[in-house]
Amino acid sequence: MSDYKSDYIVEMRHITKRFPGIIANDDVSLEIRKGEVYALLGENGAGKSTLMSILFGTYEPDEGEILVNGKPVKFHSSTDATACGIGMVHQHFKLVEPFTIAENIVLGVEPEEKKLGILPWVNIRKANQQIAELSRAYGLEVNPTDRIADVPVSVRQRVEILKMLYRGAEIMIFDEPTAVLTPQEIDFLLQIIDNLRKDGKTIILITHKIAEIKRVADRCAILRQGRLIDIREVADASAQELADLMVGRQVKFMLEKTAPQFRAPVLEVQGLTVKNEHKFDVVKDVSFTVHGGEIFAIAGVSGNGQGEIADAIAGLLKAASGKVLLNGKDITAMPVRERALAGLSYIPEDRHETGTIPDMMLRENLALREYYKEPFSRRGILHQEAFRSYSEQLIQTYDIRCAQGPETVLRSMSGGNQQKAIVGREIEEQTDLIIFVQPTRGLDIGAIENIHRQILQERERGAAILLISLELEEIMALADTIGVLYRGEILKIDAAEKMTTQEVGRYMMGVKEA
Amino acid sequence: MNKVFTDGLSFALPLLIMAIGALYSEKSGVTNLAVEGFQGVGAFFGALAATLFAPLIGNGNQAIIYIAMVCAAIGGALFSCIHGLLCIRFRANQVISGVVINILSVALTAFCTSAANAAISGNASNKFVLDVSSKFTVPLLSKIPWIGGLFTDMYPFEIIIAVLVVVLWYLMNRTRFGMRLRACGENPQAVDAAGANVTRIRWMAVIISGALSGIGGICFAYSLLGNFSPSIYQGFGYLAIAAMIFGNWNIGPTTLACLAFGLAKSGGLQLCIAAKLPSNYTDLFLLLPYVLTLLLLIFFSRKNHPPKAAGEPWDKSKR
Repeated sequence: MSDYKSDYIVEMRHITKRFPGIIANDDVSLEIRKGEVYALLGENGAGKSTLMSILFGTYEPDEGEILVNGKPVKFHSSTDATACGIGMVHQHFKLVEPFTIAENIVLGVEPEEKKLGILPWVNIRKANQQIAELSRAYGLEVNPTDRIADVPVSVRQRVEILKMLYRGAEIMIFDEPTAVLTPQEIDFLLQIIDNLRKDGKTIILITHKIAEIKRVADRCAILRQGRLIDIREVADASAQELADLMVGRQVKFMLEKTAPQFRAPVLEVQGLTVKNEHKFDVVKDVSFTVHGGEIFAIAGVSGNGQGEIADAIAGLLKAASGKVLLNGKDITAMPVRERALAGLSYIPEDRHETGTIPDMMLRENLALREYYKEPFSRRGILHQEAFRSYSEQLIQTYDIRCAQGPETVLRSMSGGNQQKAIVGREIEEQTDLIIFVQPTRGLDIGAIENIHRQILQERERGAAILLISLELEEIMALADTIGVLYRGEILKIDAAEKMTTQEVGRYMMGVKEA
Repeated sequence: MNKVFTDGLSFALPLLIMAIGALYSEKSGVTNLAVEGFQGVGAFFGALAATLFAPLIGNGNQAIIYIAMVCAAIGGALFSCIHGLLCIRFRANQVISGVVINILSVALTAFCTSAANAAISGNASNKFVLDVSSKFTVPLLSKIPWIGGLFTDMYPFEIIIAVLVVVLWYLMNRTRFGMRLRACGENPQAVDAAGANVTRIRWMAVIISGALSGIGGICFAYSLLGNFSPSIYQGFGYLAIAAMIFGNWNIGPTTLACLAFGLAKSGGLQLCIAAKLPSNYTDLFLLLPYVLTLLLLIFFSRKNHPPKAAGEPWDKSKR
C-alpha cells in the first residue's frame, strides 16, 4: 500500500456543483492519464467549463474530491491549482491590453530583483529574454515587447499558452480554443497541442467540435446537462456516435438544401465605406449584390468589419461613402425605421445590446417592429391585448420556450430562445431582405438546427439573405455565394460550390491568389 | 515674473500629489471623485494635530508642520476607507460613493472643527489657525534667469512632495506592486487568474490615494489659507482629477498639467495686479485654471484612455 502510485495524473471523483436553480455538475468522475490528450465533449451548458473551473480552482465543488498525482488536493483559488502544475487557457483570454506580451506572461510571478540591494524592481528585460527562448522552444513565435492591444487573437492565444509554460504547468486545460481561429490557425494550434503531448504534458481539451477531437484527442468524455454520459477511446468511436451521444438523439449533419433559384437583385451595395470613431476605414469600398432566393454569406475573422457592414446597411451606422440600394431604391440616407419599412429585417450580432430590450417582457420584445402601428397603438395608447395575442401567435409559430408565456422577462430565457424570439420577430415581417449576423452564436445544436431551417425557409420564400458569420462551417453549409472579408475589404466573391473551406480560410487571413 | 513661478509651483505641487492619489485609485480600477473630500478631511486631521501639539513642542516650532503632514496622511487614509468599504467591499456605485463622501466631508469637518475648538478653547470657531510655514530660497538655482522663481521662497513641503512624486512614479512603473495595480484597472480577471489578490491591491490603492490627498489638503491649508476652515473646499480635488485626466492617467503628463494649472492661477493674479485692476477683478482672473480646464477638455477628451475596468466592481464569480 505504501508504494501505491496512481496511474492517473488527475482524478476527479463524484464532483457535484450546484448554482442557484441548476446543477452544473452532477456526480461526475474522471480519470486522466499522464501525457494524454483528454477531450471533454458537450453542448453549451453541459457543464464542461464548470468542471474544469473546479479543477483550476476557480470554483470549489459542493461534493466530491480531486486527486493530483494520487494525492488529494483542495483548491481554494487558481493560485493553488497553479502551484500543483495546472494551467488553463480560458475561452475569454485573461490579458491586460496595454501591457506587453512579456508583462502579461510574468504577471503574478514577476522576476523581482533588488536594485542597489534595496530597491525592488521587476526585471522585465530578463523576462523578455526568457520568454523569447521559451517561445522558440515550443514553436510559439511571439515578440515579447509587443503590446497585447496590437496583436491578433491567434497571438493572444499563444501568449496564454506561454503563460502556462512559464509557470511550469504539466496539466493544461484548453477551453474552446478554436472558437476564435481560422482553419489554418486551428491546424497550427492542434499541432502545438500535439507537440506539448510529445513533451510529456497532459492536455484537457474542452470543445463541442467533434472533428478536432477526432484529430488530436486520445480519449473523450461526453457530458450532457451536467451528467457524465460516456467515456470513449476516440480511435474506436465514429464522429456520428460522438455527436449522437453529445446531443442525446440522432443528429442530422447535412442540411437539406434545394438548388438555388436566384430572382431579381434585392440588395445592391456599391462602394460602401464606413469609418469608425477614430476616422479609420473599417469597411473599405465594399460592393456586392444579393438576389431574391440567394443566401449571400460574408466570411471573415472577427473584427474585420462584418458588424459595421451590417450596421451600415441597416442604418445604425452612417456610410462615409458609397450607396446601398434596396429593390433598386437608394436607402443610403434613410433613417432606420424607413429602411425597415422599405423591406429590411435585421438580426444583429448582439442579442442584448441591439437585438432586444432584455429587461422587458417577451410580448413587448416581440412587438418591437410593430408596436407603433394599429392595432398595438391607437392614438398613442398601447393596447396590451394586441401585444398578448400577437406574441402568443409568434410563440406558437417559432416554438419559443418561455416559462411565463408572453409575460416572461426576456433576460430570464435561454440564449437559444431569445434568438428564436428575435428571428421570429424579424421573419414575421416577411421582408425582401433579411440580414443575419452571427445568428447561432452560443447556441446548442438543437437551436442551431432550428435557426438554420428558418433561414433556408426564407430563402425558399424568395427573400434575399445576407448572412454574416464567424463560423466557417455554418457559411459552407448555408451559403449560395460567399464573400470573404479581410480588413474591411472583400477579397473574393464566388459561388459557394466553387470554394473549399481551406480556400476561404486562406482569404480570411488576407492571402489573395495562391 | 518670479512671483508667478514661486506661487505657481506652491499651488501646483499639492495639486499634483492629490492628482497622483486619484491616479493610484483609478489605475487600480476604483473611480475616485472623493479626492476633494479626502483632502479636506486630511487637512482637518493635520490642522487638529497642529493645534493640539503646538503648545507641547512650543509655538513657532517648524517641526509642527511635519507632524501635521503625517497626521493629515493618516486622517486621509482612514477616511478613504469609507470609499474602499463602499466600492470594494459592498460594490456600490463608485461615482455616487465619491460624490457622497465629498458632501459628507464638508459637514463632518465643519462640525468636528467647532466641537474641537469648543473643547480646547471654549470658543466654537469653525477654523483652526495655523502657524506660518517658513520658506527658503535655494542658493544658485534661484539665480537662474527666467525660471529662478521656481526655487525662490519655497515651502519645505514642496521638496517633500517632489521626492514623493519620484518615489510614487517608481512604485507605479517599476515594481511588482505597481504592475499588478495597473493590471487591476485594466483587467482584474487577468490579475486574479495570475494568482494575485485584486481586492487587496484595490484597498491599498484607495488608502494610498486617501493619504496622498490628505497631504495635499494640509499643504493648501498652510500655503494658501494659513488656517483650516471650510474654505479648504474650493474644488481643488476636482481640479486634481481634471489634471489626472489631461495627463491621461500617467504621472509624467499629469505633472505637466498641474504645473499648467499652477502657472495659470498665479499668472492670472499677477496679470491682474500688473494691470492695476480693482480687486473685484481678481476673482475673475482666479477663474483661469477652470476656464483652462474647460478648454483642455475639448482637446484632450477624445484621445484619452482611462483604465478599462475603472468603475467596475470586482466580482470574482463573474466571468
